[in-house]
Amino acid sequence: MTAILFILFAGLAVGCAVAMVAQRNPLYSAISLIGVFISLASLYVMLAAPFIAAVQVIVYAGAIMVLVVFVIMLLNVEEEARRRLRLRFLIPSAILLAAVLIAQAAFVIYFVGTTLPTPPPQDPSTSEVGLTASIGTGLFTQYLLPFEITSVLLLMAIVGAMTLARRATLPPDALAVPGSAVLTKSIVDPDAVGDATPVVARTTAESEELLRRDEG
Amino acid sequence: MDWNVIGDIALRLLAITIAFTGVLMIVAYTVLAERRVLAFIQGRLGPNRVGPGGLLQPFADLLKFILKEDIVPDKSTRFVYFLAPVVAIMTALMTMIVYPFGPNVTLPWFGDTQLVIARFDVALLYVLGITSIGVYGIALAGWSSNNKYSLMGGLRASAQLISYELSLGLSLVGVILLSGTLDLYNIVEQQSGWHGMRWNIIRPEGPQIIGFIIYLISAIAETNRVPFDLPEAETELVAGFHTEYSAMKFALFFMAEYVNMLTVSMLATTLFLGGWNVPFAADIFGQGTFLFALVSVVGFLLKLIFFLFLYIWLRGTLPRFRFDQLMNFGWKFLLPVAILNIIITATWAYFW
Repeated sequence: MTAILFILFAGLAVGCAVAMVAQRNPLYSAISLIGVFISLASLYVMLAAPFIAAVQVIVYAGAIMVLVVFVIMLLNVEEEARRRLRLRFLIPSAILLAAVLIAQAAFVIYFVGTTLPTPPPQDPSTSEVGLTASIGTGLFTQYLLPFEITSVLLLMAIVGAMTLARRATLPPDALAVPGSAVLTKSIVDPDAVGDATPVVARTTAESEELLRRDEG
Repeated sequence: MDWNVIGDIALRLLAITIAFTGVLMIVAYTVLAERRVLAFIQGRLGPNRVGPGGLLQPFADLLKFILKEDIVPDKSTRFVYFLAPVVAIMTALMTMIVYPFGPNVTLPWFGDTQLVIARFDVALLYVLGITSIGVYGIALAGWSSNNKYSLMGGLRASAQLISYELSLGLSLVGVILLSGTLDLYNIVEQQSGWHGMRWNIIRPEGPQIIGFIIYLISAIAETNRVPFDLPEAETELVAGFHTEYSAMKFALFFMAEYVNMLTVSMLATTLFLGGWNVPFAADIFGQGTFLFALVSVVGFLLKLIFFLFLYIWLRGTLPRFRFDQLMNFGWKFLLPVAILNIIITATWAYFW
């Protein structure tokens, strides 16, 4: 029973991964990647780690891939055209290197893997290791420092993203009257890059005049 | 042949069939109830011709959906266009398996059964995860229709959904703090104190009133209902992300919206209003008896109907948010209040 489920989900994961690489349409690749993540989550459940499976679906398949799909949709990324391969020597060298890699992995698994102590496989229905309570207890007692450092890392990422995406904004007491425009000097004068001093135009005609000065 | 495993699987398949049929019946009659109740709020009668008082209207609607012409836009991306309603309805229905409908009951043939289809440790995270996947149904539907209005509707709906998922999840953290478990069956069992009235919303070691209100608002936003229904507003974007869908595929989206409504109502009932706990039912009927289970299931259904009525009532009463007001409200008000709720609950529970 477990073997059938494992073959099913592992085959699904490998199939979706191959589809992701081989597809020319980027949205189909993104959908295949979502399929890979969900198959991996099912494999985690069979390995007695239900919490990791749920978090994988929530974070990876449900949040990160949503943003990737947004980007593909908004930027309207084109489908790749089929074109003739120009560096034809790459195909045999890729096959040779892949064979070398697989031979190395087989060597390691066959000769080295059996002598290392491996933890006993957990029974998914009775194991206590992957339960939420065990993970929570470990995270807040023994592994507290890595937990806090991870929070600081995420905070750094957020602050960095905000710093990079910030642009020159108007000061809070800028005047905005309906029918007129408040423009930043960087828009009106092409030489004043990044200057956020507000230039107030009281009527639509005045703002047109200001902007036409930029074009002329 | 392990007969225990086969019997277990057969029992679960039977439970799934019953739950599936029940959910579809409830959804069909919720559509009818919405049309009638909205009509009464707006001072007219709803559909009351088909059958006694209009009770066979859902079957008329079903016939219409099946027999309608199925139009597929020419330049749409075929695979994604057909995948989107499937994803929407699948994720809506998949969450049904973790809700406990009633207490332990001793049935004559099956012995001691728990009235839940699947009981596992991370049930609440499972529900949140499946809700996150449901965003794809809308986003892919909007994009694959090859229609600017659908694309805008789909993207707006997806942005709204992922924004309100945050406050939805955070409002549930208060309940998880108090119950100490993510298993929905346990959470409902813990609310059976005080003769079945010790619900999480009035729990003495941290009443979840703020959490309940935040959850309710986030749930209304998650299901794209008024006042958060800009993505499918008729006056705004034709019909939003499901403009180009006709007949059965539109019926799938339509059903998916109502099943989502049912799902979030079930979650609210289970986590905040005590699930199947009916006051004084355990004392009158005794634990484990069939009557107690029946009364509990009926109580659960009554609480569900209350929430569905609340949704319909709000639809008839409130105007809708503009999109920037919506996003402001979700990020700048609900999220901080949800975090505040966690802090208050944790402090209260610690010092109680």
